Amino acid sequence: MSSLRLISNRTSQQALSNSDYTWDYEYYEYGPVSFEGLKAHKYSIVIGFWVGLAVFVIFMFFVLTLLTKTGAPHQDNAELSEKRFRMNSFVADFGRPLESERVFSHQMAEESQSLFHFCINELDHMNKAKESQKGPSLDSNTHFQEVSKSSGVFEEDLHRLTKFNIPNFVNTDKLVMQSSHWILD
Amino acid sequence: MSTDRPSNLIKHPGQTSIASLENISDFSLNITDCAQVVVPEEVFFTVAAAGILENLLILIAVIRNKNLHLPMYFFICSLAISDMLGSLYKTLENIFIILCKMGYLTRHGDFEKKLDDAMDSMFILSLLGSIFSLLAIAADRYITIFYALRYHNIMTLRRALVILAIIWAFCAGSSIAIALFSYEAATVIPFTILFPLMMCFILCLYVHMFLLARSHAKKIASLPSSTVHHRTNMKGAITLTIFLGVFLCCWAPFVLHILLARFCPHNPYCACYMSIFHVNGTLIMCNAIINPMIFAFRSPELRSTFKKMFYCSRSSCNW
Repeated sequence: MSSLRLISNRTSQQALSNSDYTWDYEYYEYGPVSFEGLKAHKYSIVIGFWVGLAVFVIFMFFVLTLLTKTGAPHQDNAELSEKRFRMNSFVADFGRPLESERVFSHQMAEESQSLFHFCINELDHMNKAKESQKGPSLDSNTHFQEVSKSSGVFEEDLHRLTKFNIPNFVNTDKLVMQSSHWILD
Repeated sequence: MSTDRPSNLIKHPGQTSIASLENISDFSLNITDCAQVVVPEEVFFTVAAAGILENLLILIAVIRNKNLHLPMYFFICSLAISDMLGSLYKTLENIFIILCKMGYLTRHGDFEKKLDDAMDSMFILSLLGSIFSLLAIAADRYITIFYALRYHNIMTLRRALVILAIIWAFCAGSSIAIALFSYEAATVIPFTILFPLMMCFILCLYVHMFLLARSHAKKIASLPSSTVHHRTNMKGAITLTIFLGVFLCCWAPFVLHILLARFCPHNPYCACYMSIFHVNGTLIMCNAIINPMIFAFRSPELRSTFKKMFYCSRSSCNW
C-alpha cells in the first residue's frame, strides 16, 4: 500500500489558486525525468493523441453519413405505395388512443412513422420465418379491424401479426414510441 | 514499500488533484519543462456540482413518475448514478484536502488511509458502472428494435433489476480488487483492454441498429415525406457520432494516462502527457454533465416530467 502525505508548507513555483496545499507521493521522489535531447516536440503524445481521436470521430461520422446515402431508394409501384399509405393512415388511427395521455400529441407524425418502421420490421421477420402461429383471439378495437381490412396485401400479414401477439402490441406501441426517439428525433 | 514505484500513480488515479511537479524542483530543475497543468478549484467544484445536480434530477424524475418505471429508464438511472459517483468522488476529495489542510484530519492516520482507499474504489466503480450502463442501454435498445413485439417477454422489469444488480455487484468487486491490487500489471492491462472492447461492442450494436433504421427509411421513401427521412437519417448519423464521440473523448485520455503511468513513467514524452492529468479528470466530470443530455433528456416523457416538476412546484400537482 502506498501512503500519502499531505504537505501544506511546501512552496511551489507555480501559483496555486486559493490554497497552497499539495498531495505528495513517493513517486515524486525517485529520479527526475530528463528532458534533454528530445527529438520531437515534448507534447507530441498529447497532440498526436487528440489529433488521432478527432480524425477517428470525423471518419466515423463520414462513414455513417455515407451509409445513409448509398443505395437507390426502393422503387415502389403505385399500388404498393397506396397500400403503404393506407398502412400509414392505420398507424395514425391506431395511435389516437394514446393522445389522451397528452404526452406525444406534438410528435404524432414522427412516432407513427417510427411505429411504421417496426411494423415493417416485424412483418419482414414474419415473412421470412413463415410462422403460422395462432395466438389469442383478436381483441383490439373495431376501428383497427376496419382499416386493416381495407388494405390489400398487408391485411393478411397484419392479421397474423395481431393475432400473434395482440396484448403486447398495444404496449409495444408506447414502448416503440418511447424508445425510437433517440434515433429519429 | 513496494519497489514498483510507478504503480502508485495508478493506485491513486484521481488523487493528484493539486499535485504540482514543481515540488520536484527541489530535486532537479529538468522537471519544470513540462509543468503540471492546473485547473482552478472553482472550475472543478462547478463542474462537479452541475453533474451531481443534473443526475439527481433524473433520478427524482424517474422515481416520481410511474410511467417511467420501465427497463430502459432504469438503465438510464444506472448511468446517472455512476456519473453522480464520479462527480461526488471529485468533490469529496477536494473537501478531504481542505479538511486536512485545516487540521481536522491527521495526515498519517489509518482512518485517512482507509478513506483514501474508499475514494479510489468509488472512482473506479464510477468508471466501470458508466461503461456497463452504456452497454446495458445499447443492448436494451437493440432488443427493442430487433425483437419489438417480444420485448416485454424478454426484458421484464424483474430481469432488468437483476441485470443491474449483477452489473453493480461486479463493478463493486472489481473496483475494490483494483484499488487493493493496483500495483499489479495484471489489473492495469485488463482494465485498459476492457475500455476499447466495450467501445467496439457498443459501436457494433448501434451501427447494426442504424443500418436497420436506414433500410426502413428506404422502404417508405416513396411516401411524400421522403425528405423528412433523409433528414432523419442524417440526424441518426449525428446522434450516433455524438454518442460514441463523447464517450471516447471523455474517457480515452484518462485510460491512456493509466497506461503510460504504468509502462513509461520515466519517458519525457509520457511525463508531458501525464502533466495534463487534471484536464483529463475534468473531462470525466464533463462526461457526467453531457451524458444526461444525450441519453435522458432526449426522451419526451422525461422532458414532460421535468416540466411538470418545475411548473407544479408552486402548486400541488397530482402525479
